[in-house]
Amino acid sequence: MENDMCRVCFHPEERCIEVARGENLLRAAMKADVHINASCGGEGSCGKCRVIVEKGDVKQKLGVKLSEEEVKQGYVLACCSSIESDLEVRVPIETQIGDKSALTRRPPIPLKGYTLSAEDWAKRLPQWELNPPTTKRHLIMEKPTLEDNLSDAERIKRDLARLSGMNDLVIDYPMLQALPGMIRASSFDVTVTVLDRGSDLRAVRIEKGDTTLRQAAIAIDLGTTTIATQLIDLQTGKVIAEAADYNGQIPYGEDVISRIIYSTRATGLAKLQSAVVNTIWNLIQEMVEKTNIEFCSITHLCISGNTTMTHLLLGLDPRYIRVDPYIPVAQYFPWIKASSLGIRIASGVYLHCTPGVASYVGGDIVAGVLASGMFNSEKMTLYIDIGTNGEMVLGNKDWMLACSCSAGPAFEGAGVKHGMRATRGAIEQVRINEATLEPMIITVGSKHAVGICGSGLIDLLAEMFLTGILDERGKVNVDLDTPRVREGNNGGEYVIAWAEETGTHRDIVITDVDVDNLMRAKAAVFAGINIMMEEVGMTLDMLDEILIAGAFGRYLEIDKAIIIGLLPDVDTEKIKFVGNGSLLGSYLMALSGNLIKEAERIARMMTYLELSTNAKFMDQYVSALFLPHTHSKNFPTVMRRLEEARERARTARGEAGGSDN
Amino acid sequence: MAFEMPTETTESKIREVSLGTGDVKVGGENVLPFYLFDGQMPNRPLIAVEVCDDNPQGWPPAVMEPLADVISDPVVWAKKAQDEWGADLIALRLKSTDPKGDDKSAEEAAQTAKSVVEAVDVPVIVYGAEDVEKDGEVLKAVATATEGKNVLLGPAVEDNFKTIGAASLGYKQSVVAKTPIDVNLAKQLNVLLSNLGVDVGSIIIDPTTGALGYGLEYSYSVMERLKIAALQQDDGMTQMPLIADVGWESWKAKEAKAPASEFPEWGDESRRGVFWEIITASCLLMAGANIVMMRHPDAIKTVRKVIDSLM
Repeated sequence: MENDMCRVCFHPEERCIEVARGENLLRAAMKADVHINASCGGEGSCGKCRVIVEKGDVKQKLGVKLSEEEVKQGYVLACCSSIESDLEVRVPIETQIGDKSALTRRPPIPLKGYTLSAEDWAKRLPQWELNPPTTKRHLIMEKPTLEDNLSDAERIKRDLARLSGMNDLVIDYPMLQALPGMIRASSFDVTVTVLDRGSDLRAVRIEKGDTTLRQAAIAIDLGTTTIATQLIDLQTGKVIAEAADYNGQIPYGEDVISRIIYSTRATGLAKLQSAVVNTIWNLIQEMVEKTNIEFCSITHLCISGNTTMTHLLLGLDPRYIRVDPYIPVAQYFPWIKASSLGIRIASGVYLHCTPGVASYVGGDIVAGVLASGMFNSEKMTLYIDIGTNGEMVLGNKDWMLACSCSAGPAFEGAGVKHGMRATRGAIEQVRINEATLEPMIITVGSKHAVGICGSGLIDLLAEMFLTGILDERGKVNVDLDTPRVREGNNGGEYVIAWAEETGTHRDIVITDVDVDNLMRAKAAVFAGINIMMEEVGMTLDMLDEILIAGAFGRYLEIDKAIIIGLLPDVDTEKIKFVGNGSLLGSYLMALSGNLIKEAERIARMMTYLELSTNAKFMDQYVSALFLPHTHSKNFPTVMRRLEEARERARTARGEAGGSDN
Repeated sequence: MAFEMPTETTESKIREVSLGTGDVKVGGENVLPFYLFDGQMPNRPLIAVEVCDDNPQGWPPAVMEPLADVISDPVVWAKKAQDEWGADLIALRLKSTDPKGDDKSAEEAAQTAKSVVEAVDVPVIVYGAEDVEKDGEVLKAVATATEGKNVLLGPAVEDNFKTIGAASLGYKQSVVAKTPIDVNLAKQLNVLLSNLGVDVGSIIIDPTTGALGYGLEYSYSVMERLKIAALQQDDGMTQMPLIADVGWESWKAKEAKAPASEFPEWGDESRRGVFWEIITASCLLMAGANIVMMRHPDAIKTVRKVIDSLM
């Protein structure tokens, strides 16, 4: 294993870091918190990230923008170089800060985005076993004779009972219709798909010959803003394709409330259902096209969404969710034929929706809690899902309390001028040099930047705040001496990438209005956390673990989330990033019938706390509409860091002033 | 052994802010308002007498009548307020600069402010017309013209605090930070001003106060919460003295100014308005106002007695 790690040292910072062989040099610099100007996202076209490799080997992309002379001197473009051995790298001054005016450097902020690994999951979920809710059985049946004259259906049941101990099986009506033709056309050599619905076993589909090796399932996180899907090979349990897109219902309203209102119009509910079904179907097609799996191999779908999204998918009238006393049609949902919702898939394919807790705590949270394993743990855990609604669950294996607050879709990239999902070209990491205010950006797929995803937005806000580009209210300080800040149509703005460096040929900016939306989202989440802790009479230091879920991107920089006051200022060791908890839970349930049962138990065990009637919410919310927070006393490490940054800025200004004269 | 009253004391106190260039101070208490059995209020709450730089529009006859001889000259008005009504402070309101009204220039207004400051011995508060843009310009000119006089400039609000804060900083003045009836917002504006470099010891909070019947109880609770945060939670960004714009709010109330001919059951309007102002001021003093800005000479006289009896 050791051979696969390389030690990279950056000079003149004298900062060293261990990274995997093959890692991109710019990403390694980001990890070491060494500032290298980089504005094209890693495409190699801006030519700004020039560094000198003094010792060791890198592999370079061809055709990079360097002169022969520079190549001779050992110059490489960091973004186009992969690390092949231990390295000594010198960052020339012009690459570091763009000019020679300031030499102040901040101490490194180590990356603390701890993301739970596969091994962590195994420890957290002893209930997990590969035992999908659908199974395929290959049967070579004896042909009927005058003596053995059982009906076709009873013949299949007899063989299934004999072979797999499946008694009291029910055969689905469409399968009965297909039965006589199919078994004779295949000379009584068939594969039967059996669905374990918990309450009964149901034969749902019959195919010719042996198809047991071809079995796949779909896991879906059905979000208000984003829908994320996975195609899973049930033979191996591996995800073989992923796809995500914005929910096709967005044109009918950005949040659950406006969707519910739309659903009450004539044909509104049908339109919403067909919009979301379309999105899901397109995503399934996209995934199937990427792989060699066929549609007919898909045997079931596991879907986790909030209560309203689940209702709209199933075509259930959600209107009473919105009005006091906020009653959903159902919390637990039966297995439903996917085709009955309009998903154009074989009639024997069923889908399962994860049960919810209440009108504003749905199956997505239950799935996340399931995946997090907190329901198994002694540890006092706070699970936070940051989506269009921010939901929180507090508790452990003995009790759980859940609540929800409306955060808005800003962290999913919606409602932000250049916001986007974490797909190719999305800026996912940002550093800003505090002397020059020049950014260092990395994009998903190292492509030209086309927008900013959630993790990039959190990074960006934190960096802008620390460097004084943003004040405590979240307003861009347009008086700063850099062309990157300016007055735009939406108030002040900061230019993260100039038009010529982007994939859209437009400047990528973040505006006062964007920051406002992000501030509201973080304030709602933070207020929710505080009210919940207060309700149970607990303080943040009593928590053993804080788990963050959300569709920000591939990871979340915990420190940055604390700097902007999205998360409380607690020991970062306690905070872990789950990723998309709802999708992960759906994936686990698609593979394990046990966990589907566990999800039901979890939904029953959670107590719902209604925040909308809580008189203290508004007060908590307004106090959180500030960076990092109005009560800065509760953010000691952030305030210390801010004070240090301001001190450095003052020193730098003093020095710069001196050198001018 | 004799009975000893238990007392609740705190380590924290409200900052003592110096006004003007003499020895007038406000704040400094380590107790909730008038809890003299628990601690000390080293400085009495102060009454600032409102003076306008132009003939005020829409003021009811009940309040215009005693001002008749001074209304046309802010300097004469201020001197009378100081000499006859015993004003602790003068609160000069530069209403003439309102762009929706006379829209007089910042320089002209600054000259008026300068003459008032020079004519009286008591410290002076200078309020703009409460127009976000214009106030910045006007108060900057006032700050320049009265440099070093430690005038209390205001109100600085979220959208103009930078200009007004910078002016008070540059010309050694104090500043009133005004926010719309919310503890958090009040605190946030103080943080912003202090980040600008404004000395927290020269800031007074105007939490926005309603008159009797117009949100007085809400104002009361916000002011009380500010004092509790300052004293019991040692929150440095709420430890500023409070100012309440009593005259302005009270005399806006329909109940204060409607003539008895229209509402005979409400009684004589020449006394009713004064009562309205007295009750509003007394309540806000009880809630924690360290300065009350007042208008009617009779109301001022009575509220002074109220303060005397409580101290």
